[in-house]
Amino acid sequence: MTELSRRDFLKLASQGLLAVSGLLGLGMIARFLGYQTDPPPPTEFDLGPAAGYPVGTRTPVPQVPALLIHTEAGFSALSLACTHLGCTLEPAADGFACPCHGSRFDADGKVTHGPAAKALIPLRVEQDDQGRVILYTEG
Amino acid sequence: MRPNFFHHIHPPTIPAAQARWRYTLGAGGTAVFLTLVLVATGALEMFYYIPTPAEAALSIQTLSYAVPFGGLLRNLHFWAAQLLLVVSAAHLVRIVFTGAYAPPRRFNYLLGLALFVLAILLDFTGYVLRWDVGIQWALVVGTNLLKSIPGVGNALYAAAVGGSQPGPATLIRFYSWHVFGLALLAAIVTVWHAFRVRRDGGAAVPTPDLRTDPGRISRFELVRREALAMVFTGAALLLLSAFFPAPIAPAMTGITALSGDARAPWFFLWVQQMLEWGDPFVWGVLVPLLVLIVLALIPYVFPQPARHELGRWFPRSNRLAQAALAVIALVFLLFTLLALIPAA
Repeated sequence: MTELSRRDFLKLASQGLLAVSGLLGLGMIARFLGYQTDPPPPTEFDLGPAAGYPVGTRTPVPQVPALLIHTEAGFSALSLACTHLGCTLEPAADGFACPCHGSRFDADGKVTHGPAAKALIPLRVEQDDQGRVILYTEG
Repeated sequence: MRPNFFHHIHPPTIPAAQARWRYTLGAGGTAVFLTLVLVATGALEMFYYIPTPAEAALSIQTLSYAVPFGGLLRNLHFWAAQLLLVVSAAHLVRIVFTGAYAPPRRFNYLLGLALFVLAILLDFTGYVLRWDVGIQWALVVGTNLLKSIPGVGNALYAAAVGGSQPGPATLIRFYSWHVFGLALLAAIVTVWHAFRVRRDGGAAVPTPDLRTDPGRISRFELVRREALAMVFTGAALLLLSAFFPAPIAPAMTGITALSGDARAPWFFLWVQQMLEWGDPFVWGVLVPLLVLIVLALIPYVFPQPARHELGRWFPRSNRLAQAALAVIALVFLLFTLLALIPAA
């Protein structure tokens, strides 16, 4: 490699410094925009007394969104957010249909028609001491 | 006649061939006019619009139904935005179908393409500001698509949404991008694009020795033609606004609640159609990005238009580029139509 002239060295150094400051600035903007002001959505939903959901009922809970299912075996729940891109599913004759891209799921949450690739996510349901139904979206 | 300010920002004379409607379609100038309409109407909308989830849709209802001429104002803003996309697309088609991107105009072609992308982003952010049930799924899908990008997806989602689901932070972010961030970028690139048109020698025509038409027109004639285009565009905007109001829907009750309208805004229907085919990242991010890359590469990888063929439609020398754009345009139209046909 030939010797670097003073002029070329200064040019290269200033361009390098500019590029580094630019990258630093971009990183700062990314971190600046990444701050989350809104509290995360609740992960625990109190759905009221269990008596409100007799055996054999399937109740939509729009604020989750989820479907609360009460069978002989007890309470269970399915997330009603489409596993494709997150639109809330609508009830259909044989299960659920996504209004956005046409995915279909059967009553147990299994995919019957794409584009969704994954089954609906089961959610944990518990009853507290007072017999209230609590639905958890995590864990 | 003494040139006024508007005459002054034009060259004293230009080759007549550069200013023929049938060559330029007047698309670039019309896009500038629509941009000015958008700035003026948008500035006025800001006096009534409230960027909070509780009040956004209601403030738009107030603007549309209670404020004198508020409905007209909002309709003009909406129609100018839709027309801007159509006119920009026509401008892009004209540039490729006449080979006008040939050197030295390659860089300005990229600036124009960047403006087109900015116009689409401005249109989408403006659409989301309605914050009603009509835009709910487009917002959920659009932001979840960011999340599907491997590696940087979650960071992009956090930066765009400002939370783990769309909420107050999202609305203020979309608002800031729409009225300031993207608008400022678009203003800068618009001025740069126009400057480069002048710097590169105006609209592409053959050099004087190859030119068959030696005629020139004065800046007075040029400004007259531009004013004519503005009058026609303005009339079209007023007619559209008078008879076809901008879409509006009931306020959103919650980002997870069921809503009636699951259709993407018209310029994204082709993406919505592709998303029905599977993987969100591939169809919703990668394919649109590839289309943009092909468009950006047109001046760089396809055979160059011949110098003597500049200034007219469909030169032989760049047929490949014309074919590439025609295929993209046809696929866009076909997918948009497919998305409009309700599923059986």
